[in-house]
Amino acid sequence: MNNRLPSDARETGAQMTDFAMQASTTREAPVADRAQALKQFALSDKTFYWLTRVSAVSVLLLLGGIIISLTVGAWPAIQHFGLSFLTTQRWAPQIEPAPILGGLGPIYGTLVSSIIAMLIAVPVGLGIAIFLTELCPAWLRRPFGIAIELLAGIPSIIYGMWGFFVLAPFLADHFQPLLIATFEGVPVLGAIFGGPPSYLSLFNASVVLAIMILPFITAISRDVFMTVPPVLKESAYGIGCTTWEVVRSVVIPYTRVGVIGGVMLALGRALGETMAVTFIIGNSFRIQDSIFAPGTTISAAIASEFAESGGLHQSALFFLGLLLFVLTFFVLACARIMLMRLERQKGT
Amino acid sequence: MTMVSVSSDNFQPVATDSPVKVDIRNLDFFYGDSRALKNINLGLAPNRVTAFIGPSGCGKSTLLRVLNRMYDLYPNQRAAGEVLLDGRNILDPQVDINLLRARVGMVFQKPTPFPMTIYDNISFGIKLYEKLPKSELDDRVETALKGAALWKEVKDKLGASGLSLSGGQQQRLCIARTVAIRPEVILFDEPCSALDPISTAKIEELIDELKTQYTIAIVTHNMQQAARVSDFTAFMYLGDLIEFGETSHMFTSPEKRETQDYITGRFG
Amino acid sequence: MNAIYSSRKRTNLIIRALCFGAAAFGLSFLGLILFTLFWNGLAGLGLSVFTQMTPPPGSNSGGLANALAGSLVITIIGVAIGAPLGMLAGTYLAEYGRHEKLTTVIRFINDILLSAPSIVIGLFVYVAIVLPMGGFSGFAGSLALAVIVIPVVVRTTEDMLLLVPNPLREAAAALGMPRSLVIKRVAYRAARAGLITGILLATARVAGETAPLLFTALNNQFWNLDMTGTVANLPVTINNFVQSPYEFWRQLAWTGALIITLSVLALNIVARVLGRERNTQ
Repeated sequence: MNNRLPSDARETGAQMTDFAMQASTTREAPVADRAQALKQFALSDKTFYWLTRVSAVSVLLLLGGIIISLTVGAWPAIQHFGLSFLTTQRWAPQIEPAPILGGLGPIYGTLVSSIIAMLIAVPVGLGIAIFLTELCPAWLRRPFGIAIELLAGIPSIIYGMWGFFVLAPFLADHFQPLLIATFEGVPVLGAIFGGPPSYLSLFNASVVLAIMILPFITAISRDVFMTVPPVLKESAYGIGCTTWEVVRSVVIPYTRVGVIGGVMLALGRALGETMAVTFIIGNSFRIQDSIFAPGTTISAAIASEFAESGGLHQSALFFLGLLLFVLTFFVLACARIMLMRLERQKGT
Repeated sequence: MTMVSVSSDNFQPVATDSPVKVDIRNLDFFYGDSRALKNINLGLAPNRVTAFIGPSGCGKSTLLRVLNRMYDLYPNQRAAGEVLLDGRNILDPQVDINLLRARVGMVFQKPTPFPMTIYDNISFGIKLYEKLPKSELDDRVETALKGAALWKEVKDKLGASGLSLSGGQQQRLCIARTVAIRPEVILFDEPCSALDPISTAKIEELIDELKTQYTIAIVTHNMQQAARVSDFTAFMYLGDLIEFGETSHMFTSPEKRETQDYITGRFG
Repeated sequence: MNAIYSSRKRTNLIIRALCFGAAAFGLSFLGLILFTLFWNGLAGLGLSVFTQMTPPPGSNSGGLANALAGSLVITIIGVAIGAPLGMLAGTYLAEYGRHEKLTTVIRFINDILLSAPSIVIGLFVYVAIVLPMGGFSGFAGSLALAVIVIPVVVRTTEDMLLLVPNPLREAAAALGMPRSLVIKRVAYRAARAGLITGILLATARVAGETAPLLFTALNNQFWNLDMTGTVANLPVTINNFVQSPYEFWRQLAWTGALIITLSVLALNIVARVLGRERNTQ
């Protein structure tokens, strides 16, 4: 049995088929025309699909291309120096015919300058983000936020220039002597903050780096803090919590993963940054106790030596570039995974 | 089991000259592994309005989206069974879905004007299939807008953005857009749920006029609306077609307990 | 009770003061940078900057005309290559491949490329383009910038298309429109402001990029817009002039830096205004 409508169409079956045939002939013409019209789209439809797909996959190819070309460039140095490249400090490209090249100096410089920069920029950046989301009067919030975002977009060479002309002289003349005098005679710290003051130093480069990533950290942590549902904060305020207690027991626990992700994203930036540090790091491959002494980073070394390099020297610079890429890749991958976790948490 | 009861002898026969325009046979539908429609069998009569009612989640919208294969846009959605449009099974993978959708138009819950002018909103679909001289295109746009009872309100601002219209006007624009490509069947998916009562009345009037030319299916959660606009009503519950019959009969003496409960507002 | 409360209040006050301090500290530094930039940059800003070539060593007259033109061309070509590719890729992620595993992988890799060190991009293009083509060229510089543009545009395109409501796509499909037309004529149009914003932001991002140009486009003291040879450009010119012994060159570096910053800020602001228009619509 059947409840299809109309129930008695079955009785008038003949009539129905008549009608249906009639209907289909009257409809035949437009359908055929339409099919014709659609055919001309079929090719462009397929082409567009494949165009987008190939473009999407080319993003992966880009990554592959970067890794392969760096490896190809670095191969002679990898073969020649092997793992000892990572532990050798001496950088003597001028020795003929077999230069002695070790990457320890720039690797050390890259890590130390980034760490110092993060030590300065993370607390300040988080402080500004808390100010922006919790303390700032509402009318100021928007312009302040926009200003921070605009500053994050300023090219790094501007920060580098400013560091070279303004900040480095100031730090060397006023700030470094202060620290040197304070820690004189103190074991370990006395060596780290040892004299003499210098325009070109690891420390100065780190400070410029810190100022450069500051807007970046602020913008990201503000975005992360804003994912906290207002109800959650309101209920904490509702039981009489102070601003700091709300931040410490609601905002930060809720966003911890995201904040760490944002900080690591900033670390990824700092590790690979070139132009902000090149002018004032001093380009010295020797590792020294004092952070006020000149040093170098991987990117600064490549930027200042690559154009005039050749042979094994150039290959060694590629080796450094490959190391930098692998390092930042892992840092950025961790950052993304953490930020993705925050997003998922937000979704549920 | 539900099938049997409906076709019992107190089921009212309908106009004898109505064949079936869309014939749904043994239709099942799956979202991934969950079965959203269970062995649905019914037919849509030409030049009649068939309303689908039932509590949310009953599958009425899903059923509508099978009729123009809208579910094809999404992965993991799958239909099994047959849906015959003029005797041809549209679930057949050979069927060109774009052609199918040109024959089976759809109007959505929320007005969906395209981000372009009122004129372009209508002419867009036409130009897809037909190369017409400007004057003829103008005529078609005018006819479509008149058909959707919108012409008077917009004839002086055809160049304005479709988004500048009010909600009710936007919905009529969408109807005009659908009518413009001369479909055979029009599906309405809760077309008035985002509209005020006056706009709703206009759309209902419009549906009544449209049925002289088209086969119409409408999903609605508003039972009064179903009673007002439709000739036949299907009551669905949890993916089953519970009862199907003439609207006048269904709303006065429903066969099934569930239908009665729903219509009298005891659940849903 | 009161003792506890006052200690809580004290902690809160201290933290608040620290946050205000951080904001003041950060802002004053950033304000200082902008101030120095404007102060020094404006001092050298004159018509000659836009009409004269970069000075030869020792010369006390000259401008940045060749560097400005070169930068403009390199950047435009870079964006013209990178933006369409990025848009197509973003389109795939948001439209065709939304539910695919491949999309997740590509999105992840793209996000990493988004922050990859730009100097490494320079090395990549050096191996992939400069070496095979037998020398530094403006075109290689453009390609390096394109590599940086792509992930930015992929990301914004995907985000913007995901904001386009699905019913709009369904409505277009319900008219019998083929998928590519649904995307090109409806989804793109609905997301237009956002897509343009993304391209502007990408342009702003590469406009001041220096590191990837150092060994791709190199630099050129003269007027040259032949993309197969070395082309003068602002960032590398600034890089060279900053460390020069001549006062006049340093002055030009400041002026160049000001011009770059102003254009980047202008691009960012236009992008922002466009983005807001979209939101209020």
